[in-house]
Amino acid sequence: MHISEGVLSAPVLITGFVGTAVLAAATMRKMDLEEIPKISVITSVFFVSSLIHVPIGVTSVHLILNGLVGVILGWRAFPAVLVGLVLQAILFGHGGVTVIGVNSLMMGGGALVAYIVWQQRYRFSFKRREFIFGALAGATAVGVSGIILALALATTGEAFHAVAGAVLLAHIPIMIIEAGVVGACAEFLSRVKPDILAGQRLAQSASAGPDAAT
Amino acid sequence: MALDIDRYSSIDSSISRWDPRFKVFSLGVLIISIALLKTIPMAFVALIIAAIVIGMSALPLHFISNGLSFILVFLVPFFFIMPFSYPGEAAFHVLGLPFAWEGLRYATLIFTKALAIVLISFSIFGSSRFDVSMIALQKLKCPKIFVQMLLFTYRYTHVFLEEMHRMHTSMHSRGFVAGANAQTLRIYGNFIGTLLVRSFERTDRVYKAMLSKGYQGELHSMVKFHSSFPDVLKGLIVVGLSLVLLLSDYGGIFKVAERGWY
Repeated sequence: MHISEGVLSAPVLITGFVGTAVLAAATMRKMDLEEIPKISVITSVFFVSSLIHVPIGVTSVHLILNGLVGVILGWRAFPAVLVGLVLQAILFGHGGVTVIGVNSLMMGGGALVAYIVWQQRYRFSFKRREFIFGALAGATAVGVSGIILALALATTGEAFHAVAGAVLLAHIPIMIIEAGVVGACAEFLSRVKPDILAGQRLAQSASAGPDAAT
Repeated sequence: MALDIDRYSSIDSSISRWDPRFKVFSLGVLIISIALLKTIPMAFVALIIAAIVIGMSALPLHFISNGLSFILVFLVPFFFIMPFSYPGEAAFHVLGLPFAWEGLRYATLIFTKALAIVLISFSIFGSSRFDVSMIALQKLKCPKIFVQMLLFTYRYTHVFLEEMHRMHTSMHSRGFVAGANAQTLRIYGNFIGTLLVRSFERTDRVYKAMLSKGYQGELHSMVKFHSSFPDVLKGLIVVGLSLVLLLSDYGGIFKVAERGWY
């Protein structure tokens, strides 16, 4: 799910950096001091969880969980993903320094879309709502990231058209896995510690009113 | 898995003695210029420069090779994908798949550049303590809030990794085996949820303790940077080298092959 160093053309790299700078500035506006540790915790868990591998036949894939970051942090998911990717590039050389812009747009963009999907849960009322919307958010995040990755490859050159197609196909099993994990995690958190989740509305009886978001 | 990139930062070398501000900036410029290269000969020159830089940093070979093994997993597949997926005329067929030399050239270019960049990135962050590199970033006008998040995340990652290993051991001791099934996914979901709940409670305590000790969002450090003439000179040499690399690449000394191998 990372684009490696040296693959993309200069215009794509620059577009990535500009897009990331704009989105980071927009999503980091009015950030409180108090939020830094919370965001860092999620970023670390996102980082550590990517070391968990789920077996598929003879091979295995690792968890991405950008959807979960969106489900927990809301708009602040973007800076969290950016920090996670910078650390991955520094510590492992995964992704790389010059592709941080493109990779952040890819993974962070997926996280933001996941948050939008997650917020739609209030429109419905049925059993296991948190699981279903968590799963949808998890799958959508990976799907969006896959599409952005394929677009970045396809716009770099004709040489990558076939690879871009293969990349899109490879995302399908990952979407299914992420849907299961993020859905289960969202359901678990909504039962155990609902105030962690993004856009969580307080109970109707709370004095802050029904629309107050945490 | 060892995450502490700075575990050999105490080794004395001309790179570790370099003022981190100049080091991060000038080697950063070099990395960007390598990413923009288009010809294989210049990419090889870049790889040689990167090898010299990492050699000067005196980092142990096993540390570098361990780091590189992660990256090769991502890069080696290019050699198997690109030659068989490159559009246009195939030179010959392997097991029915069209093989194009142009694809192999592309894969070599990507591999060489990526290797050079990763080696330089190791020499930047492997030769100074992590917090010192971060303070250098802050001095280079990187937003404070971002540097703080990097530092917190780096710190927490070590804590959670231990926590995760402990939880993994307890899961395995109760007979859990990961498989391609819904139950595994549900268990992992709950596992991550538990990790989050535990971590949140812990960070809340840590944050309150920090506030009580006067934390106001500033990163205070006893580290003082001193730059001398050799620091500036090293920086100028590296930035100069980056420009030479780019100019030779784009100046037409070597032509990007239109067809075939070089």
